[in-house]
Amino acid sequence: MTATPPLFEIDDLRVSVADKQIVNGLTLSLRPGEVHAIMGPNGSGKSTLANSLMGHPRYTVTGGDVRLQGESVAEMAPDERARAGLFLAFQYPTDIPGVSMINFLRRAMSARRGEEIPVREFRQVLNDVLGRLQMDEQFVRRYVNDGFSGGEKKRAEILQLGLLQPLVAVMDETDSGLDIDALRIVSEGINTFHSDDNAILLITHYQRILRYVQPDHVHVLIGGRIVESGDASLAEVLERDGYEPFMERTSEGVLTS
Amino acid sequence: MTTATLEAPQESEIKPDDLRAQIEQLSRSNGEPDWLLAFRLASLEQALGMEWWTGQEESWRRTPRDRLPRRARVGHVSGGSNGTPISVPQHVFAPDAHAGLVHQIDGRVAASDLDDQASAQGVIILPLSEAARSQPSLMQEWLGAVGPPLDRYDAFGRALWTQGVFVYAPRGAVLDESLFYLITQDVQQGDHWHYTLVVAERESQVKLIDGGDANDRRAQLDETPLIHGSVELIAEDGAHLEFASVQRWHRQSAAISTTRGRVGRDASIRVTTAAFGADLDKQRIDMDMSHDGGFAEIRGLFVGDGKQHIEHVTRQHHKGVGASSDLLVRGALTDESQAVQYGLIRIEPEGQKTNAHQTMRNLLLADGAGADPIPMLEIEADDVKCSHAAAVGPVDPDQLFYLQARGISSEDAERMVVRGFLAEIADGVPDAHMRDVIDELVEIQLETKVTAP
Repeated sequence: MTATPPLFEIDDLRVSVADKQIVNGLTLSLRPGEVHAIMGPNGSGKSTLANSLMGHPRYTVTGGDVRLQGESVAEMAPDERARAGLFLAFQYPTDIPGVSMINFLRRAMSARRGEEIPVREFRQVLNDVLGRLQMDEQFVRRYVNDGFSGGEKKRAEILQLGLLQPLVAVMDETDSGLDIDALRIVSEGINTFHSDDNAILLITHYQRILRYVQPDHVHVLIGGRIVESGDASLAEVLERDGYEPFMERTSEGVLTS
Repeated sequence: MTTATLEAPQESEIKPDDLRAQIEQLSRSNGEPDWLLAFRLASLEQALGMEWWTGQEESWRRTPRDRLPRRARVGHVSGGSNGTPISVPQHVFAPDAHAGLVHQIDGRVAASDLDDQASAQGVIILPLSEAARSQPSLMQEWLGAVGPPLDRYDAFGRALWTQGVFVYAPRGAVLDESLFYLITQDVQQGDHWHYTLVVAERESQVKLIDGGDANDRRAQLDETPLIHGSVELIAEDGAHLEFASVQRWHRQSAAISTTRGRVGRDASIRVTTAAFGADLDKQRIDMDMSHDGGFAEIRGLFVGDGKQHIEHVTRQHHKGVGASSDLLVRGALTDESQAVQYGLIRIEPEGQKTNAHQTMRNLLLADGAGADPIPMLEIEADDVKCSHAAAVGPVDPDQLFYLQARGISSEDAERMVVRGFLAEIADGVPDAHMRDVIDELVEIQLETKVTAP
């Protein structure tokens, strides 16, 4: 382990939804340049974790802390977190009819920078990222996520990732619903974004995206907590044996605790 | 922001003899032909024979009637016959490009023009009283041709109008640009009765944008100005008529409008209205679908604030075979503003293969705001497709969260969602500049009202 201070820390986080505890004391630390994957079966708390990290009002943090560059974001509104450099790629991006992508993207970029981005510069950056994602320019004339196919929605998330240049990107099941070509393009988008200065938290059910985006660390999420951590080979163990062995271990753990 | 409620009486005694005399004087000073004076006086008799309302009518029972002036008097006309010069204020809806325009300020004509392409095709846009002099036979043929008045205001409107416009597109005329009719409510005291008549002859295509604005719309008045608009839209067989009406009257005004469309065979009428000003805005929109294969679209958008009451009473009346109609009303309500939509789809036994739909959606942006959408179906034909949907609720929290997750503040996020929601209605306005103006007015109206959740 290097002496680099963590970029993003999740510290004994507990989250409930409608009075039901879903995340039960989750601790994780990401250093700059790292890719972490959290893998878990359905109902293990993946989406709750992702949404609560971004501050969704439906999720209540009942304990613990989340820190970005050493500073707590737990009390921040979602927009403050985003401006501080946190990003969530949504599993189900929301459609907003009547609001054009281009207007939305420009507002979002200006918000992230803290000042209005000049039109010319915006166009330049936008075209650059669109080209990398093999997306047509007409795409941004459409309303936000409105009538997008599953693949288009995920690509639009990666487009935003590329434009907003966050410090930490939480990717909530970005691979779900993608065919193999789209998965490759989306993965390339993530890899292009990734640098020594940022960190990525991939939240996924399946191992397949990890063939394209190499994780430094893999964690297994069961019952709202991490039950096992390892390197990339852990994902292969999961692919081979499934979540079953880990689930048994947890129930024993719960019984004995 | 709340609007002061007036203590002044909202009702004044109607003296038939005085009204007759006023109308005769008005008609004479306009140099109107005899038939028009006769039309005005006949309309007056119809009005005198009606009640304002009983309060039991579906079209009146949800209206806060105590806020409506029950008054009938000839409105104030600025400048008057002596031709006193008046200033021409910049109109908020002044267009970039247009095929023709009439602008009236308190009944006085401030501007009137028509481009060469339009006039070469025989298209007419004229102030109504001028049209009565220069196009008497056309106007006599069409004025009131949509049918008898729908209520007492509508009847008084036909009798008392001091301003109005006549638009005529002859057979086969096609205009690319829109025509504009702009009204400025300048001197705030006094009532306004205006009359819009649009005739699209067979196979013609015409678009009229009707913009009503007020100078100094926040000046404190001691009487509620009554603003009434009678609008008659006629699309003959195969014609396509688009009409958009945007109003930003004085804050204390009571604005009532009656818009009636008659859709010919394989013809279409599209109406888009946007309501911003006025303390009370009541729009009655009635589409007569008596002919086969016609199409009508009614789109309404509004942003309410203060204690505004915004009401749409609509009727899609089908008698023709295979005709379609669609109603889309969307509004956002802040503060303690209230909205009512009473929408009736009526299909007569002969109206087979009708396609008729209604959607009413209200976004509530404050706890004190409310909306009451009431879609109604009366169907007597058995082979039709009808649907209706009505919704009242807050802005979708997931939409807000999505925008916030990209760094946009909750206030800005709410405004963006609302603007987007209304932009889908404004898309029906056939002029890009006007759509931008509407979007700006939405923004202005929302500016100080949106509060963080």
